[in-house]
Amino acid sequence: MEDTNNAIEVRDVKKKFKIFIDKGSELKERILFKERKQYEEREVLKGISFDVKKGEAIGLIGHNGCGKSTTLKLLTRIYYPDEGTVEMAGRVSSLIELGAGFHPDMSGRENIYTNASIFGLSKKEIDDRLEDIIDFSELEDFIDNPVRTYSSGMYMRLAFSVAINVDADILLIDEILAVGDANFQRKCFDRLREIKRKGTTIVIVSHSLGQIEQICDTTYWIEDGVIKESGVPRFVHERYMYEMERKRILQVEKEQLKKQQRRKEEYLKEMEEEAKQEAKRKKKEKEQKEEAERKAEEDRKAGIVDNFKKKLPYFCEPDAVRTGTGEAEFVDIKLTDKDGNEKYIFDTEEKIYVRIKYKAYKDDLKAVLGYGVFRQDGLHCYGTNTAIESNQPITLQREGEAVIVIENNLLPAYYYIDNALHGTDGVKYDDIVRTKTFMTASYKHDIGISRIKSTFTVDGKTYLMGEKKDGEQ
Amino acid sequence: MIKTFKEIINYREMIVNLVKKDLRGRYKGSVFGFLWTFINPLFQLLIYTLAFTYILDSGIDQYYLWLFVALIPWIFFSSSILGGSTSIRASKDLVTKIYFPREVLPIAYVTSCFINMLLTFIIIFITVLVSGRGIHLSVVVLPIIWIIEYILALGMAMLFSAITVYFRDMEHIMGIILQGWIYLTPVLFQIPEEKPAAKAIMMFNPMSPIILAYRDILYDGVFPSAERLLYSLGFAVIFFFIGFYAFGRLKRHFAEEL
Repeated sequence: MEDTNNAIEVRDVKKKFKIFIDKGSELKERILFKERKQYEEREVLKGISFDVKKGEAIGLIGHNGCGKSTTLKLLTRIYYPDEGTVEMAGRVSSLIELGAGFHPDMSGRENIYTNASIFGLSKKEIDDRLEDIIDFSELEDFIDNPVRTYSSGMYMRLAFSVAINVDADILLIDEILAVGDANFQRKCFDRLREIKRKGTTIVIVSHSLGQIEQICDTTYWIEDGVIKESGVPRFVHERYMYEMERKRILQVEKEQLKKQQRRKEEYLKEMEEEAKQEAKRKKKEKEQKEEAERKAEEDRKAGIVDNFKKKLPYFCEPDAVRTGTGEAEFVDIKLTDKDGNEKYIFDTEEKIYVRIKYKAYKDDLKAVLGYGVFRQDGLHCYGTNTAIESNQPITLQREGEAVIVIENNLLPAYYYIDNALHGTDGVKYDDIVRTKTFMTASYKHDIGISRIKSTFTVDGKTYLMGEKKDGEQ
Repeated sequence: MIKTFKEIINYREMIVNLVKKDLRGRYKGSVFGFLWTFINPLFQLLIYTLAFTYILDSGIDQYYLWLFVALIPWIFFSSSILGGSTSIRASKDLVTKIYFPREVLPIAYVTSCFINMLLTFIIIFITVLVSGRGIHLSVVVLPIIWIIEYILALGMAMLFSAITVYFRDMEHIMGIILQGWIYLTPVLFQIPEEKPAAKAIMMFNPMSPIILAYRDILYDGVFPSAERLLYSLGFAVIFFFIGFYAFGRLKRHFAEEL
């Protein structure tokens, strides 16, 4: 220990794991395949250092696979570091694997002895704690029954009671406070705080940031095997959440775009297939067909085409509903950012660009272009069209494009958008309900449907959120 | 290493619990239960006695007793090493999930075999009395023999348990070695005095003085040779330290290997 006030000193710890492709630990395999590289090395921790003072509580956070659990396992000495040192002062108890060594056929009482002995307690020490353990577990009536008759909740309660009554100098906890019912959790949590008051050093690995905030003095955010940030839990967590949310969104977006791409491919394939069959039929019923086509063409010219397409085009959501006469139709609709990249998730206050391609089957067709936005639960958030926004009707070309720029103030939720192309007299040319779905995301925690810009001024001072939040400590 | 020993002493309660669990769990669910501890060696004795008295005449007076006092310690030795070598693997769940000095596992296993042997010694004493040979004063040195054998078995179990984690075949290789080893030890037959090469090999074997000592005390009723026992003790102590040292080096990566 470099500093006697420290309970834990971790110095530049590195840890690699061998990921075996095909693990051969038999003699034959070892000799035969000596030259073959059978594993890859993955560096899980790339040099981590931190101190924990006696009586301090720290939280380790990070996404799955970042190395936080490995760090905890190094602290418990289940793993040894490849490089660097881990020093711990005092007795260590861990709430990592509760009920290690429990034997189902032995009674609760016997298991208390077995389990506690694994933590290095002597018989006398266990005798002294026995009553506390049983009381805390609330299992007085069942303590002499075999553990196999316990419910899983009872089992965990017993295990937790043993681990928390070890009276360790250092307590290591991994995602533990999900034990038992709400009451028991409450109790565990209170007990943990009590233990902390008594001066026990605590290390918690958890995804529940709230719990860490309640108990810990410092949070270490581990990412890709290094400590990315540390400090006051609340502030570190805020930035962590921000980052996580961004990552999640990118992931969802990627999946969504992939899905759309797939749908497009399927659609095109089906169209191709249909076209082939169509061609076959055409051959057979050439005359009839020609006749019918002529008629259809006439109809279209007369503007009485209905059911112009039974099939939904690929750019729509699968549950979209399309109606209209087909005198004009949408041939592509995309939601994009300002640069034209197709997107699924938009930040609140980010502009949504609805890029539309259309076709009209008449010259100089007068029309109204509109859209509507609905929240997933059906709430009609907004709707407008060219007739509302302007007093001039639009005249469609045979083939053209349109862009609707939406200043999106909607708060995080799922939404869908409808698009419509109507005649000036209200006749629907092409009307699609649920053309597209999109999500909005925000890092601000305001609530409601839509953001209404608000500024707070109290006693002459205006309170604003800075772009970057550096002001802690 | 001293730190490790201290830690193991702190974890003595765990050893006690593991031994209890092992002894109680071994025959759990069987009709005869704990009686198997005695039935097993008795039947082995019966088989060997029949074989060596009626089929192959050994020419040894009261062969059953001559064999019995050697066979029980041998069973302890071989089962300690065989079972001990898999003791870490068998407790994979514990090793990968929680910290405790890993030495506890082979220690507990060998200790439970040892206690099993001590219990069987009750039968040995009864057999000795029944045979009419009586118990000689030299029985006071019996605990020393027990301890030497215990140290030797523990050292080897340590070494092989650690190796088995990394190299599973070790377990089977040990099985073969132990099958051969019994014939290098005067358990089933006497040391062939007329074959000096064989005799030399057998006397190099650290188990031979131990087995001979048991026989001296319980069959012949004389004090065993201190000189030969010192040889075994020396061997046992060296193996004990090699075992602990190697174990200490290898245990670091147990959790990852399992």
